Amino acid sequence: MPHGAVADPDEGQVDQLYAETRQLRLQGFLLFLVSDVVLFSSFIFAYLYLRNTLPAWPPPGINRLDVGFAAFNSVVLFGSGVTMHYALESWKHGKFARYANFLIATIVLGAAFLAGQGYEYTNLYMREHVSWSGSGAFGASFFTLTGMHGFHVFVGVCYLTVLLLQSCAGVYTKEKYFGLTAGTLYWHFVDVIWVVLFSIFYLI
Amino acid sequence: MDFAVLERSVAVVGGVLVAFVSAYALYKDWKTPGLDNQVFKVMLFLLAVGAVLATLAGLGVLGNFPKAA
Repeated sequence: MPHGAVADPDEGQVDQLYAETRQLRLQGFLLFLVSDVVLFSSFIFAYLYLRNTLPAWPPPGINRLDVGFAAFNSVVLFGSGVTMHYALESWKHGKFARYANFLIATIVLGAAFLAGQGYEYTNLYMREHVSWSGSGAFGASFFTLTGMHGFHVFVGVCYLTVLLLQSCAGVYTKEKYFGLTAGTLYWHFVDVIWVVLFSIFYLI
Repeated sequence: MDFAVLERSVAVVGGVLVAFVSAYALYKDWKTPGLDNQVFKVMLFLLAVGAVLATLAGLGVLGNFPKAA
């Protein structure tokens, strides 16, 4: 406690309450992520089913997706997972400047991934004439799944920005930082979902 | 330099870097207890796998090949 500060008689009680509810909040957040896994899984299995019902994939008239650019964009997103991990580690070790730098890097990389996805969509639509509604199962499944993932990344970028502002405002301490843990879990989840989407759309 | 070569080169170099750093982070966190840390370990492992896949895709080893008609 800083010199001259007045002891809060309820502090011990607050700490105990935090410790008790932290585990519950963590379990609740993990359940939310599991529900998101179910959502993505249903769309992924629908995509795999549609893909296997067609004699050729991609369907005639549609070129293969650009694997090189997708690999580049994937590395951008996976890199943001690493910076997010180190942001949380820095916070745990009380290194605020390092934490802020890593978190800002994560936000920038997340936004760069979204920009890359926008570039890829534009390219597909303008040059390849592939669209959500006009390209059959291929366009519908590709844009639905990657769009849903992109929306999650967008929400994550907003979420991390809020976390950065909150931590600058002193909402979290070295001992109480569940929001940052949840943010890191969410961001890793978004990364891991992209591993699956990248594999099924570009690699197989 | 051709843009396609540049993006593949960045994918390879970045992929190796990300795979190495996530594997190292996993190694360092291996003995940390707690539910959240167990989930982080699984996710770091999958992140490393994803980075390896992106590297192989950048190298042209993996890629989407058209299904035979």
